[in-house]
Amino acid sequence: MEETRKLASSIHPGSGAWDVIIVGSGAAGGMAAFQLATAGVKVLLLEAGRMIDGQKEYRTMEWPYASLRRGRLPEGERPIAVAEYNMYDRPYGNHPEFAPYKKLMSYAGSTFTRNWVVNEKEHPTTGTPFAWVRARILGGKTNFWGRGALRYGPLEFKAASHDGYDVDWPISYEDVKPYYDRVDELLGCSGTKEGLMQVPDGIFQRPSKLNCVEVHFKRAIAKLDRHYIPGRAGVTTDGVLSKYRARCMGRGRCGRGCDLNASFHSPTALIYPARDSGHLTVRPQSIVSEVLFDEATNKAAGVRVIDGVSRDVMDFKARVVILGAGALESTRILLNSRSRRYPNGLGNSSGVLGCYLSEHLMGIGGSGYIPIRKGTAPTLDDGRPVAPYVPRFRNLTDRHPRFIRGYHFQGGGGCAEYPAMAHEIEGFGSAFKEQVREWYPAPISLGGFGEVLPRKENRVLLDPEVKDAWGIPVLRFDYRFGDNEMKMVEDMAEQIEEMLTVAGAENIQVRREPLPPGWSIHEIGTARMGEDPKTSVTDKFCRLHDVSNVYLADAAPFVSGGTQNTTWSILAMCWRTMDFLKEEMKRGDI
Amino acid sequence: MWRIGYVPEDLREQELVSVGGVTRRGALKALGAGVGGFALWPYLSDEGARAFARIQQSQAPPTLRFLTPAQYKDLDALAEAIIPADRHSPGARAARVADYIDLLLSESDEETQATWTDGLSEVDRLSRERFQASFALLNAAQTTELLTEMSKHERDPQSGLEKFFKTTKEATVRGYYTSEIGIHKELGYKGNQHLPEFVGCKTVDGEPCPHCGQKP
Repeated sequence: MEETRKLASSIHPGSGAWDVIIVGSGAAGGMAAFQLATAGVKVLLLEAGRMIDGQKEYRTMEWPYASLRRGRLPEGERPIAVAEYNMYDRPYGNHPEFAPYKKLMSYAGSTFTRNWVVNEKEHPTTGTPFAWVRARILGGKTNFWGRGALRYGPLEFKAASHDGYDVDWPISYEDVKPYYDRVDELLGCSGTKEGLMQVPDGIFQRPSKLNCVEVHFKRAIAKLDRHYIPGRAGVTTDGVLSKYRARCMGRGRCGRGCDLNASFHSPTALIYPARDSGHLTVRPQSIVSEVLFDEATNKAAGVRVIDGVSRDVMDFKARVVILGAGALESTRILLNSRSRRYPNGLGNSSGVLGCYLSEHLMGIGGSGYIPIRKGTAPTLDDGRPVAPYVPRFRNLTDRHPRFIRGYHFQGGGGCAEYPAMAHEIEGFGSAFKEQVREWYPAPISLGGFGEVLPRKENRVLLDPEVKDAWGIPVLRFDYRFGDNEMKMVEDMAEQIEEMLTVAGAENIQVRREPLPPGWSIHEIGTARMGEDPKTSVTDKFCRLHDVSNVYLADAAPFVSGGTQNTTWSILAMCWRTMDFLKEEMKRGDI
Repeated sequence: MWRIGYVPEDLREQELVSVGGVTRRGALKALGAGVGGFALWPYLSDEGARAFARIQQSQAPPTLRFLTPAQYKDLDALAEAIIPADRHSPGARAARVADYIDLLLSESDEETQATWTDGLSEVDRLSRERFQASFALLNAAQTTELLTEMSKHERDPQSGLEKFFKTTKEATVRGYYTSEIGIHKELGYKGNQHLPEFVGCKTVDGEPCPHCGQKP
């Protein structure tokens, strides 16, 4: 914290001159800073939280018997939010009962990642419930992200052409493919080439192999014409050119932050190299309340910052403002940037700012035991950054009678540090121990990610009364799952049950209840891109239609998000946007 | 109006919003909050975690924080009966499971503490009624007799004793399989080490797999 305070207080308006201000330091802000600073552009990066020293804070290899927190964190420590999140960290969260919540648990209710996420009491939301995970710390959620690095393909960019619902993205996969390729090469992506149209191949490093129960499952569901392929991870398994990053050493426990930085974390992969260029200034504890607007030029003039420690309010000026605070936070800042000309928020002359919030529906999944591993000796089954996955198989070439779009399943099995199945085995004594050992290598469990259709009525607004701890209006959510999602849920549950049955799994359990909205942490939209300024917020280069010097670097401009995890697309789209901005700056248009 | 950021206690008074058919209460219940009491257990403080790490490493006598010595002895016997030492590995006693539960209880709310003190006195009452001795002093056959009764409806416990068995078993399973003995000696977990490559199933490399018997 001391370092953070010193650094923050040394940077104030007038202490430097910056061409570009970037808000946020996660995947979006980090990539924007890296692209601009390494090209010689003077950048001021504003992070709302503190600095982080991963070498000190990532407790990647700590054994559970050296750290025994469970349930509630001690006074003054922050779990993620309400009680649902306030859960056991791995391995404690591996109880089957908690399996659907594992992701969040291993993220933020966790001993290992505590105090990285915001204190929800200081950052409330109103309206319908939405599990909005925000990490105000250098690198944001990339410090503990799930590492799923999947590309959107033609099915996502041209979803409307495929099924007639809503609109296509104004760009195509071909526009973004070169940037996905560059992201793979710069950051390292682990995976296998599969030639599947629903999830395009990338430039891959050594994949995470399947373990025994997974090979069995793969062979079984092949009979149903389903694929089960090594997960694709934003992790370097063969190494990348970087003094900050080492290659993966198969330890597992990646969600706590990887102290080798084999996993992509924005600070070590992007921000430190950007700072080495000499053109990047990072200011932590900088809470941006609004983008400043100059009526005379119809341009953004900079941003207003509240210092997180001193609470001083200061205005930083620059020629360009890039918002990369996360889709919902960037939109909140724009909604709060009210002027005479744009009374409903900057970039909102269309009225669609805040609308079309989308994410992935989670909670549907299944588990069972694969008999071939029953009673066999334990093997190392979890020493890898990502579990395999079943790519989308619905509405690819055929039309499902009940719903459009689709879902995928992620998950695997085998021996884990904590034998979750022990909670399912009855009895006591030596016989109980023996049965736990017998089943220990055999479990498999998968969870679904379903596309939530972008709908205009699924939206966020500024709450007229409630403010956060810094006096900034909070978001009011008006977001619900609809009929298409519920039909999809039924099918997801049926299909996971069928796949486990075909695999001959014993003791199959299926979870049929969706988790609350927001659980996926894959929020996209709310400032969607489009050709027509009347129906969209940004152009196809993520620049506000209204104001030519404000860009969005995160997932706010995304039109629809398929079933794929979002981060890799944020990185690729941001790189593309920065290339466009650099051209503009070269030409002197900005 | 819904607001995130309430502690569980406040949640109970909240109007529970239904989300796609799941009430918040349902979501909480799914997590076992207020069911087994586990989700409401506190995290150990740093000091507590370090203390427990030391307890497990050493053979030192217990330093009780919440339980009385008699309660501790009964609980220790109960945990050891659930996961005993056998030819394969040491049991819950050696893994200091009772110390772990005591430590957690010392940082728990009163409701959770009461669950355990009530449960332990039920066990004590039954043991004295039937065998005129505290649970800790029972022989193997007597212990098995009582546990067989207490675990009769493990899937759906009815009586106070049956519920307490389940609570104790959950805690014992957690305490044991997160201990050094449970992870390494009992299960032989292989992870959390630096390896040049994740091995996986040998069939992936085109060889028959010795672990699962699958052919390439």
